[in-house]
Amino acid sequence: MKKVKIALMALVLVLLIAFPLFDSNLYHQQLMNQVFVNIIVVMGLNFITGLTGQMNLGTAGIFALGAYGSALMCTKLGTPVWLGFPIAIVIGFLIGRGLGYPSLRVKGVYLSLTTIGFSEVVRLILTNAIDFTGGSQGVQNIPFLNLFGFEFNTPFKIYYLYFALTIIMAIAAARIVSSKWGRVFKAIRDNSDAVEACGIDVANLKILAFTMAAVYGCIGGFLYTHMMGYINPTAFNQDLSVNYLVMMMIGGIGSVAGNVLGAVMVTLLPEILRFMQNYYWLIFSIITLIFAVFLPYGIVSLFKKSERQERHFDIFHSIKKAREIWGGRIAK
Amino acid sequence: MKTILRTENVVKNFSGLVAVRDLSFEMAERNIHALIGPNGSGKTTTINMITGAFPVTSGRIFYGDTEISGMPTYQIARLGIGRTFQNLKLFHSMTVMENLMVGGHQMMPAGIFRFLVDPAKSRQEEKQVEEKAKQVLDFIGMYDLKDEKVSSLPYGRQKMTELGRALMMDPKLLFLDEPAAGLNPSERVEFVNIMLKTFDLGIDLFLIEHNMDVVMNICSRITVLNFGAKIAEGTPDEIKNNEEVIKAYLGNRYQAEKA
Repeated sequence: MKKVKIALMALVLVLLIAFPLFDSNLYHQQLMNQVFVNIIVVMGLNFITGLTGQMNLGTAGIFALGAYGSALMCTKLGTPVWLGFPIAIVIGFLIGRGLGYPSLRVKGVYLSLTTIGFSEVVRLILTNAIDFTGGSQGVQNIPFLNLFGFEFNTPFKIYYLYFALTIIMAIAAARIVSSKWGRVFKAIRDNSDAVEACGIDVANLKILAFTMAAVYGCIGGFLYTHMMGYINPTAFNQDLSVNYLVMMMIGGIGSVAGNVLGAVMVTLLPEILRFMQNYYWLIFSIITLIFAVFLPYGIVSLFKKSERQERHFDIFHSIKKAREIWGGRIAK
Repeated sequence: MKTILRTENVVKNFSGLVAVRDLSFEMAERNIHALIGPNGSGKTTTINMITGAFPVTSGRIFYGDTEISGMPTYQIARLGIGRTFQNLKLFHSMTVMENLMVGGHQMMPAGIFRFLVDPAKSRQEEKQVEEKAKQVLDFIGMYDLKDEKVSSLPYGRQKMTELGRALMMDPKLLFLDEPAAGLNPSERVEFVNIMLKTFDLGIDLFLIEHNMDVVMNICSRITVLNFGAKIAEGTPDEIKNNEEVIKAYLGNRYQAEKA
């Protein structure tokens, strides 16, 4: 089983490396870059909402601050583009602490409420502080990323950079999920009173999970900005936050592989359905609904042995039961 | 004898309803102390106040010489006070092993940054906790079940898992809220044996229990509550023959059976 898994992952890796060499369509490459950005953001959201069970509805605000932070630094102050990366981490850290500290030390839905508010406040400031952010015109002519004089100025070049970054961040996320951190986050979701009784500072851990979500979100925003070259505040509305939640739920809550699958599916499926023209969003929503009903543990549960066994067990059990009942009646 | 736990005039009001009134008692070291009383007499509320789950309305609670009333739950736990819950509070999406390892989380001090840059250190920490968890599993006799999901275990095993999780942090004083409730007679015997073994490890026990066989046989001191107030305190023999306790809780039949 493990060998099959490794072989499968190697195959996917090779296919992904080869993809832009065989598909030179710039739009397709750009879409894949968008997928990478989304994967990073969803992996972050997974820490706080997927594992720790605290509903974060402010991903759009976090993402927007990451994006604008770097964009404004480059265009207004002329700082080197790579500096946006550490800046994104710092912004993420500040959001995580600043918003997490007041809203996560108390129990309940406060994180959902404060994050919705935060997200809207960020969007309104970005729209209305025209002198500083360009208002609804957005920020234009954002430079591409460059490293050691090499400019990532085509979707083809960006693809490999973002691919590598996504892998690094996915490995970090997977390690956290399978470590003591992931374990204690899940424990908080299951029963925070019991975690507290084990001598663990629950509030502090929730803030940590939220801070990591914010850092991942801001890095996602930073990558998005330098991929698009142009951003405006209308993109960062509540729909975006919900979209990331949908990705997490469709893929499989709590697992990094699930996050990846969810981000891929929710980003690419609408594009694949484009040929349906006016109906594509309707069809996409229906497909999403079907997934939510029939795969409540996400796409990733199809690949997980234990959950599949449980389900099969149920089916076989009911078939056996039915046979016994009906067989008995027929024999009579 | 040194006192390990002392409450002074502790009061708990739930917006007008007095759950615990003016409760003062002492628990000596190396003791199995029981808190008994009719339903709704404030036993669990008392434990919740001691372990920090509820703040006290007034009064003070001391653990050794440290005042613990007003401290957050996790800090009280870190002082060496473990507990189990009346209605199990397990991490049901996880295995027995993982449940225990959450109990040992405090053994792993490395921060998140250290964890990301130093995989060797984190692996070593993880191994230590795993070792410890295996010892505890051996102790409670659940080593074979370590990879089972707790939600798929029978009630008695779940209770035992909770005890194991509490043992993971090496408490000095362990609160058990109705440990024998819901167990069948053989499970109860097993649980009592484990409790006695735990006591022999040097862990003092404080239990709430309705099963008089358990209470009278293993406890050395008993405090009786009724309507949130202490009505008696003493050795099992004294309690058995206390008129007020018989009237409020044990009932005449209990005395008749014992006589």
